[in-house]
Amino acid sequence: MDASSAVVKTFRQASRRGWVVTTIALPLVVILAPRLGLGLTAQRTVELTILLSLVVSGLNLCYGYAGELALGQVAAYAAGAYVAGYLSIHVTSDLLVSVLAAAVAGPVIGLITGIPGLRLAGWSLAMVSFFTVLLIPDMVAILSTYTGGAAGLNGINSATLFGHPLDGQGLYLFMATAAAFWFAAMRNIVASRRGRALLVMRESTVLAAAVGLPVFRSKLTAYVLGAVPAGMAGAMLAYLDQFLVPQQFDFSLAIAVLAATVLGGRTSVYGAVIGAAILELGPLRAGSFENYATIIYGLFLLLGGVLLAGGIVGLVRRGVRRLVPPQPLPEGDEDADGAPLVLQGKTLTVNDVTKTFGGATALDGVNLTARPGQVTSIIGPNGSGKTTLLNLVNGYGRPTGGTIALDGVSLDRPAWQVARLGVTRTFQTPIVSDDISVIDTAAAARVSLHRTSLLSVILRLPRFRRLRAEDGASARRALRRVGLGEHAANPGTSLSLGSRRLLEVARVLCADPAVILLDEVASGVDEDAVANLARLVRTLADAGATVVLVEHNFRLVLEVSDEIYVLAEGSVITSGTPEEIANHPDVLKKYLGTPVANGTPVANGRPR
Amino acid sequence: MVTTIWAGLSVGALYSLVAIGYSLTYLGSGGFNFAQASFVVVGVYAAYLGLHHYGQSTLATVVGGAGVVAVLAVLVERVAIAPVRSHESLLVTTVGAATLIDGVVERIAGDQALQVPFFGSDKAFTLFDGRLRPVDLVLILVVPAIGIALTVVSRRTLFGLAGLAQSADRDAARLYGINPRRYAYGSFILAGLIAGGMGVIVAPKTSAYSTLGSALALKGFVALAFGGFGSFSGATIGGLVCGLVEAFAAHYLGVNYQVLAIFVLLLATLLVFPTGIFGRRRARAI
Repeated sequence: MDASSAVVKTFRQASRRGWVVTTIALPLVVILAPRLGLGLTAQRTVELTILLSLVVSGLNLCYGYAGELALGQVAAYAAGAYVAGYLSIHVTSDLLVSVLAAAVAGPVIGLITGIPGLRLAGWSLAMVSFFTVLLIPDMVAILSTYTGGAAGLNGINSATLFGHPLDGQGLYLFMATAAAFWFAAMRNIVASRRGRALLVMRESTVLAAAVGLPVFRSKLTAYVLGAVPAGMAGAMLAYLDQFLVPQQFDFSLAIAVLAATVLGGRTSVYGAVIGAAILELGPLRAGSFENYATIIYGLFLLLGGVLLAGGIVGLVRRGVRRLVPPQPLPEGDEDADGAPLVLQGKTLTVNDVTKTFGGATALDGVNLTARPGQVTSIIGPNGSGKTTLLNLVNGYGRPTGGTIALDGVSLDRPAWQVARLGVTRTFQTPIVSDDISVIDTAAAARVSLHRTSLLSVILRLPRFRRLRAEDGASARRALRRVGLGEHAANPGTSLSLGSRRLLEVARVLCADPAVILLDEVASGVDEDAVANLARLVRTLADAGATVVLVEHNFRLVLEVSDEIYVLAEGSVITSGTPEEIANHPDVLKKYLGTPVANGTPVANGRPR
Repeated sequence: MVTTIWAGLSVGALYSLVAIGYSLTYLGSGGFNFAQASFVVVGVYAAYLGLHHYGQSTLATVVGGAGVVAVLAVLVERVAIAPVRSHESLLVTTVGAATLIDGVVERIAGDQALQVPFFGSDKAFTLFDGRLRPVDLVLILVVPAIGIALTVVSRRTLFGLAGLAQSADRDAARLYGINPRRYAYGSFILAGLIAGGMGVIVAPKTSAYSTLGSALALKGFVALAFGGFGSFSGATIGGLVCGLVEAFAAHYLGVNYQVLAIFVLLLATLLVFPTGIFGRRRARAI
């Protein structure tokens, strides 16, 4: 082994154990810093960094992972601060009680503002959340009996903990410890199937629904969860300053939080700390920079948004990936190729389904039955309604008339519920992400298969560990089966189109599917890949799954299908075995445009 | 009562102005430009400089303000809009552009509010039993006129129709020989000209202060959401409705309830008419 590969190996081991540094060693240094001679001014800077980074981490969860730019964390921060201030004056100054109360108050604000905004997402949510920041001074004024109004809330007592008064050192210790706990919890959340689910949703809400994730609820969860650290930070601020005015929670704070998120890297846990630290050491520091703070935020946002998409953490990640290339899966271990694939198919019945869009009829009385262990193909010219039919089965739309059922159970329900009944699909344009590795993309399909509680994820309870092992094994098996084992650790975007389609199949496999809908799985890929896909499609059906194939490649269809339905202008014009379809005069006319003499030899049916 | 209506309509005209700018650049470039309100703010400061500091004529100030802001708008389009693809990033970069503009304005002009006199009379008068100042009346007349003019141009001229077409489908428009880039530029230039040129009317109403931008940006968005993205008449009416809601909330509930009332209007709009009163529902594409 030469020197460079030894370095790579060390690096690899180090990066696998990196969490020890970030979740244990680093927080310990911060916690112990005063004992190691950290001055009071520096201590204050660290405290402010902790507060800002907590608020920023809430935005990271929401924007970086769930993909919704919502700045409600500032309102949650204010709510936490005022709740703690009120408690201190009227009820108790116990820091733990205050922080817990604030950790509830923050999410309540998140829930109230999130429900209307998240219904629309995108710009609307962002603007609604900006608006909550604009509202803070007015709300403080309206509730001035409790908040002290514009004049400020005076008389917040020093913090106590379990009846003992806390001095400045004690408060510092508490803040650093609480932040360490939050960041460890957040790290455990995002580095789990739940975090992956959020990323999948960020990349595509359509795909998220297809793997069984309720999009609205998941986004709301992320948004509300993001308000927890913000609320906690608010309570700590109340005891740190013992005085609150609405100006502490103004629009420029919201901009600073956004700048820190963008700068540190939105899709990261510790990027929040980096971004917050840079802001506290730079533009937020009282004195020379103050007058330029706004200009600096503006520059950070512009540069971050245009040039530095992944922030500082993204930059580091890319560097590490270059230094230490990701490892392919080791050849055949616990889950070798030989193990037979067994899937439990269900019968899909489409009964007299009609779909109209405005005045246009896309589907007109379609009947179709797809049985377990068979490949049922749907062919037809562009615009004949093939994808519309898939979308209806999938729950992306509701039929105008008729019914769709799976083993007699109606599929008239939202897409994510249909997915949980075992209906899986691939897309014409495979959905991959720069932030999700190939193996995680495949494993994403399992998120809704066996669910885990958030607590189990945060505390890494045995159930979580077992599921994690199963997810990994299943994804590895699926990748090997489709031949993508060597790409497992690469980002999804590194794959070619053909490989992306294979990855979609691997993802479907991970879900233990009953029904597999393949939407033009072979379009745009080369001959070898088509042959490969044909073999795969057959394997899926032979394993017992109900496979529905929508495809333009006539030869592929004839080769793999058990039954073929021909759609034209929204109606089934005929159906039958490959041999029957291949020789059907109407089909030949529709497909090839010219009448062909009966009995013309065509490609053989698939070999049995 | 009527005084409250006049107050609401005149402040609402400001929100209409911002919302019209949003709609214009949205149609032109397909993105939401948060910095639109900052264009208006720069126009306000340009009016202060032109009228007060350099003692120029109103006409010269209008031309100068329009020119300066148009150049600024093109710059924003180049730096913060054109290179960015996703909608979320667009929000980040345009918020960044707005913050940068506000910050520079604050550095140059200071954080004190600056009074700008109106070129006409400043004396309040009575109209239909309500008191208002001449600047209010001018705002109430001029801003809707801009909205109507843009509606007519976009619906009745080939140039406008081509603009609407490219906003609906840029690739298809290219095939018909329409250059979407030119419309993106054009929409920003026009939005800049309007925002800058209106400075002389907006400034006497608001006076010039640096944090004007964020409040205008958000209330302008409410106007836009109410009226529907990309509709000029919707943006105009949305702004006026916003202003009325704000004025009546202030009158009957108290000053502290102004923003809250608009917030409630926003939430109600989003929940009941997600595409705005005049917006068209777009079919979801998979």
